[in-house]
Amino acid sequence: MANDSPISLTVELGPLRLKNPVMVASGTFGYGQEYAELVPPERLGAMVVKGISLEPRSGNPPPRIWETCGGMLNAIGLQNVGLRAFVEEKLPWLNPLPVPVIVNLFGNTVEEYGKLAAALDGQEGIAGLEINISCPNVKAGGMIFGSDPKMVFQVVSAVRSRTNLPVITKLTPNVTDITVTARAAQDAGTDILSLINTVAGMAVDAQTRQPRLANVVGGLSGPAIKPIALRMVWQVVQVSTVPVIGLGGIVSVEDALEFLIVGAKAIQVGTANFINPGVTLEIIDGLEDYLRQRNLEDINEIIGTLEVP
Amino acid sequence: MLLRNAKILFNNPVSLELYHMALVCPDIAATIQPGQFLMVRIQDRLDPLLRRPFAVHRLYPNDPPGSFEMLYKVVGRGTQLLSNMLAGDSVNLLGPLGRGFRLPEEKGSVLMVAGGIGIAPLPYLAETIAASGCKGPSVLWFGGKNSADLVCVQHFNDLGFTVQLVTEDGSEGRKGLVTGHLEQWLTQQNELPGVIYSCGPYPMQRSVAEMAARLGISSQLSMEALMGCGVGACLSCSLRCRPPEGTQEPHYANVCQDGPVFDGEEIVWDESSS
Repeated sequence: MANDSPISLTVELGPLRLKNPVMVASGTFGYGQEYAELVPPERLGAMVVKGISLEPRSGNPPPRIWETCGGMLNAIGLQNVGLRAFVEEKLPWLNPLPVPVIVNLFGNTVEEYGKLAAALDGQEGIAGLEINISCPNVKAGGMIFGSDPKMVFQVVSAVRSRTNLPVITKLTPNVTDITVTARAAQDAGTDILSLINTVAGMAVDAQTRQPRLANVVGGLSGPAIKPIALRMVWQVVQVSTVPVIGLGGIVSVEDALEFLIVGAKAIQVGTANFINPGVTLEIIDGLEDYLRQRNLEDINEIIGTLEVP
Repeated sequence: MLLRNAKILFNNPVSLELYHMALVCPDIAATIQPGQFLMVRIQDRLDPLLRRPFAVHRLYPNDPPGSFEMLYKVVGRGTQLLSNMLAGDSVNLLGPLGRGFRLPEEKGSVLMVAGGIGIAPLPYLAETIAASGCKGPSVLWFGGKNSADLVCVQHFNDLGFTVQLVTEDGSEGRKGLVTGHLEQWLTQQNELPGVIYSCGPYPMQRSVAEMAARLGISSQLSMEALMGCGVGACLSCSLRCRPPEGTQEPHYANVCQDGPVFDGEEIVWDESSS
């Protein structure tokens, strides 16, 4: 087998072209610096940085995390440095990196989403925006926006009208029919959809009868949610006219391939970064090996090739 | 920050719940400072899912080269699985992580306070202080539920520490809580210690910090929290601290990145957790 045959992992997601389909998910990779010693950012397809809001946010009181069977329940509450500190302190480090940087953004109101989009539109070093309408851990906005198709349309429209950057809308799984919110985002002009965010969950200490999280409820991530994520990506791919990024519980190249096969054009790795910081590099190498072993040259030959007997 | 597989040299119980695990990893042993920690992936599987944080208990530069020891308590599924591992098995380490203890001034005296498994990071600190030529008198106050908690006391004796023991059930040393006896003892001293190093449960840490503040002694506390990543990415291991000037309230520091060692004055103590 010729090991030097040209393998292409390049994928095109509407206006966004990535050298490989492996991204890191918002909130699991900080602002890139945290893992830079172990994961050279330039190897990644793209990097989605921790969600930012107009003003800094303190986040929820601890405890914020609880491990479950195959999963991690968290209620961070979108703690972040805010727009100004992001632009002044984080962006100068991110800007020169030869990797597309996607900024995840979050607002308390429709207007705040629009303001954030406008403020980031003029900044150098940003390859795209990911609208967070799906965080389950904050009282205002977040999942409330994300589960109401009318609100999804308004938020995405507000962002779309204020930026020329590629717009990704991150969908919540905490809805009855995810294709409804996917369509709303698409109708409002999103370039790309990403799904899923965490699944709303809860844990209780039977000894003390207290919730494990100070926020009482949180969002479940990790391998426990992968089948849910895969099913939803597959459903959305059936009805969507825009590219889909799949995420939710991906910990290996096999997991990544499953999402690509059902039709995701790219994938994001989240919780797995905590367990195995080198996992994204292993997935990138693993995708190349997978193609080589099958005498294929292009990852696009795999995407959307689910065979339903 | 390194990612390394490390071979287990031994994994021995020291009491019903406490274990000593010795590992070989020269790269990490060469750089890790007292009070810093490692995120340990116990098995190459997804159960338990997350890594677990452990401090270095003792460092053995030469026996064999690049080896060190962790002291851990079996408290849940992760540490249960860890306790079943055998010499020759491997674990995966991420580290060194966090901000460790700052060493004392040369002539100052040192007071260490430990509660239960909070003893874990202190022997390596004590060894480092001894090797740095610090000449001041050193005292360890060590409290546990019962005598089985009071491990590695001889090691502190060998390093020249005066060791004061306290147990909740009175099975060894004084009876009661370590912080109850400590303040009385401190007020009887002609000369106060230059610094207090402390590690233990949250209410004990709070008492130590408040006591140190009352007496005008600086305190360095190694804090514990449920952790996700260990590197400051997930923002799970929050500890409420005084906000830096011009920033919003409440301010949450990351135990993994801003700590695990904090100055007592930095922390805003939570009423409900004590």
